[in-house]
Amino acid sequence: MVEIDAAGRTTREVNRAIRQRIAESCKEVVLRNPGARHNLAVAILEDAHIRIAGSAGYYCGGLIDGPSIEVEGSAGWGLAESMLSGTVRVHGSAGSGAAAAVRGGTVVIHGDAAARLGVSMKGGIVIVAGNCGYMAGFMAQKGTLIVCGNAGEAFADSMYATVCYVGGEIANLGTDAVIAPIDAGEAQQLEKILSTHLPATLRSTKPAAADFKKVVAGRKLWNFDKREWRTWQEAL
Amino acid sequence: MCGIVGYLDKVGTEGGNVGSVLLGMLTALACRGPDSTGVAVFGQHRPDELIAQIKLGENGNGTEYARKIEETGKEFGGREFSQTSAYLRFVFTETNDLHAFITRVEATGDPVEVVSVGRRLEIVKQVGSPSRLEKTFGISAFQGKHGIGHTRLSTESVVDLSHSQPFWGHGYPDLAIVHNGHITNYHQLRRRYEQRGTRFYTENDSEVVAVFLVDKLQQGRGLHTAIESIVRELDGSFSCLVATDSALAFVKDAFSFKPLVFAETDDFVAVATEEVAIRNAIPGDFTVREAQAKEVRVWSR
Repeated sequence: MVEIDAAGRTTREVNRAIRQRIAESCKEVVLRNPGARHNLAVAILEDAHIRIAGSAGYYCGGLIDGPSIEVEGSAGWGLAESMLSGTVRVHGSAGSGAAAAVRGGTVVIHGDAAARLGVSMKGGIVIVAGNCGYMAGFMAQKGTLIVCGNAGEAFADSMYATVCYVGGEIANLGTDAVIAPIDAGEAQQLEKILSTHLPATLRSTKPAAADFKKVVAGRKLWNFDKREWRTWQEAL
Repeated sequence: MCGIVGYLDKVGTEGGNVGSVLLGMLTALACRGPDSTGVAVFGQHRPDELIAQIKLGENGNGTEYARKIEETGKEFGGREFSQTSAYLRFVFTETNDLHAFITRVEATGDPVEVVSVGRRLEIVKQVGSPSRLEKTFGISAFQGKHGIGHTRLSTESVVDLSHSQPFWGHGYPDLAIVHNGHITNYHQLRRRYEQRGTRFYTENDSEVVAVFLVDKLQQGRGLHTAIESIVRELDGSFSCLVATDSALAFVKDAFSFKPLVFAETDDFVAVATEEVAIRNAIPGDFTVREAQAKEVRVWSR
């Protein structure tokens, strides 16, 4: 394990230092004094553990392919945006646009997520232990979006094939989002995901897998049909 | 862009360091708003007195105006006159007819504008960076328990002192706002208020937020209710902070377009556009989270 002190360094210098340590075969890097700075640990393509000892600003862990990133504080906008693979874990809360357009990997947020969680996600698993805000899952295409607490307005609006699970209340569903029954096999799979990725103490305070609501696309927006003009008016 | 900040000291005394906390937060957000910077701070309340901050002109050479305003000010019990850059500051006797005071002072000359009046409130703002504001006014020495601040990136109106933020709730003592975003029904609202005789001092859409709040408060609404009606009646993108002599509040639009994070502990409340501002100004271990769409919070001091 090596430590890098972000204090007094530019963000570019910090990210270069992280890459350099990983290139030197270091498997764990701890970043001290991150100060909620933007663009920390972006575009890391190697398998390493990067622990940010504090809060991160915007775009933390964006475009990564492989590493596991842990933020001990909270994260700002665009957490793990467009990541390909790896794990991003935030102990606090995440800002708007967390896990937007992720293609794979796992994003775990122990606190709440703000607006536009997992919009346009194309794969991977996104788990929020707390609540999520407005328009989560908008136009999401593949992957799994799990919110253990309550979901904000316009949840799962205009989705493709992402499957969402919500443990608490949904303020309201977005256009073409529907609640689907959750069968025993799915509940088992959901429980496995939750117990794998959430710490036991956190998992124990959340609903049982079978009590989650499953939300999927009603598929009415997948193909244009002028007889459903009203639905389209609402969607656009 | 634009950066907004707010701070409320829950446990401190009137001699609290609100000025230096706001400066620390604004400095971290200077890059979000390079055009101008301003603060609204709430200091010690003195019985039966109001504090006025008057803009003499855009370029700080209004000594001639200052002399005339001093004469007018004295008719309202004015004392402790001091001129800093483009501002004349003085204390005067609390009045039930603030309108008369404002009209008289502003009749001195076209560029003259009452920037703030309050029992506690003082607004200073100017073109330039937070460090320039500190150099001109020494804002880090401002004492008090709460205040708000702003760094501006102008998008649709000119860059000058009057168009900078915070905006005073003109004519309403101790009310100030800062706004990040765009009010898209600005022209509609402005026309409505102008038809009722309200004067607008700028072309900045943020000014209407202050006018709107003054209107609601004068109708007798409570602060919380008045701020909630911002969500319903203003269109566009907004993260706004509102401060009165006894409260700090925020409101966020229905689509959560603009960022706003906050931290609350037993000791303080800190609100800012980005967490980097809070971390730059306040040490210690506390959690920060982003406000949700339509969220309204009001903290009383």
